[in-house]
Amino acid sequence: MGVSDDRSMLGVLAPDRGRSVLVVTDDGELAVAVRDTVPPAIALVRDARPGDAAEIAAACLPWPWMVVGGTPALTPEVTALLRDRPVLILWLGPLAAGLPADVRRFDRPAALLEAVAAACHADVGGMRLAPGSGVELRDGTLVRGATLEALVAAHPRPIALSSRSFHTVSGTLARHASAWQPQREGALVTLVPASRMAARA
Amino acid sequence: MRANPEVLILEDDAETLDELQTHFTRKRFHPLAARSASRALSLLEHNRYSSRPVLAIVDWDLGKAPDRSASSGDVLSRLARELRECAVIVYSQNIDAFNVRSQIQRSHPRALLHDKRDGDASLLERVDRMLDRTVGDLRIHDGTVVVHIPSLDQHHHREAIRLVVHHPDIVTFHSDTATKAVRRFGEWLTAHDSAVRLVSHGNRKYRLAVTVSEVPSPPDADG
Repeated sequence: MGVSDDRSMLGVLAPDRGRSVLVVTDDGELAVAVRDTVPPAIALVRDARPGDAAEIAAACLPWPWMVVGGTPALTPEVTALLRDRPVLILWLGPLAAGLPADVRRFDRPAALLEAVAAACHADVGGMRLAPGSGVELRDGTLVRGATLEALVAAHPRPIALSSRSFHTVSGTLARHASAWQPQREGALVTLVPASRMAARA
Repeated sequence: MRANPEVLILEDDAETLDELQTHFTRKRFHPLAARSASRALSLLEHNRYSSRPVLAIVDWDLGKAPDRSASSGDVLSRLARELRECAVIVYSQNIDAFNVRSQIQRSHPRALLHDKRDGDASLLERVDRMLDRTVGDLRIHDGTVVVHIPSLDQHHHREAIRLVVHHPDIVTFHSDTATKAVRRFGEWLTAHDSAVRLVSHGNRKYRLAVTVSEVPSPPDADG
């Protein structure tokens, strides 16, 4: 029974390019609940402790799609990743220091799990998360791109996005003649109907 | 190519192990059976190049194992790291305990969990449902062939079986030989005008899709 002391051999550290939910807690209880919530075809749930969260996050390629936390402290490597990449961040209880402004905080596990489920089943004008990775457009086309996955799952909430990622997503959606486009409000970006943007222009 | 798929069985109780072995032999699988984690690791090591189990059934509690130098967690970690395309079922008397589940998930994040208190029959029923499943117009027969139901034509490669067993999940294949077999299966599906199509996610990752309108596009620059 149990696992060996060699933590470097844990399967949760195996690199994978599929969509991942990283759950960082002190005891793993929240990770068990998140795993029961996330459909296995949508994302792999990786159960991390604060001490190995950075290493496990590095195994989520290109980066974790979502980070769920319930611990008051994170290492600087993890907070740096969360500030630099478009990651959905859901937190239970007091926020860990250094988290970006677009983190969603919850007081009750049930509310957090509802938000996790909603992100997994997000539907933005027919755009949905494809099994494993990528986004299925309304016409069934599969588009790969972690930034677009984050925007679809976060909708209608905005997420922080670099200019480069914004332009990549904008170009991808335009290339596929999507009825949706990213819209920037300061540092935050959300998906809006392209018709609304055209009307503004 | 006909290749009977292997199943790894780790169970410390000799009688239960024998029952499981008999069940899988009857279903034309080649069982790799072990009563201890170290024996299971050794079987995986020795079969590294010749065999890649389609399924592993792992008893989490190995109190009766003749050798306790390794744990069920070690076997799960090895499977997660080196045999990602193998479906894994872990069963335990304590599967409800969150600390047990957490340990299992950290060892193998994709492992399916089963309650040992439901009995061996329940486990075998679940395994049979996985191995005799239907996806679109395809059906696995006896765990060893994929049958295109309208034409009754058969495809025998174990990588095809793996894809059907894992549907709708993505499967990562370990070698060029395996991915060639997968692509041949994709061509076979097209030639049979099947409702099921092979979808590539790049990096040797494939899945089956039943919908007909999905067309993969190249990856975007942001990952």
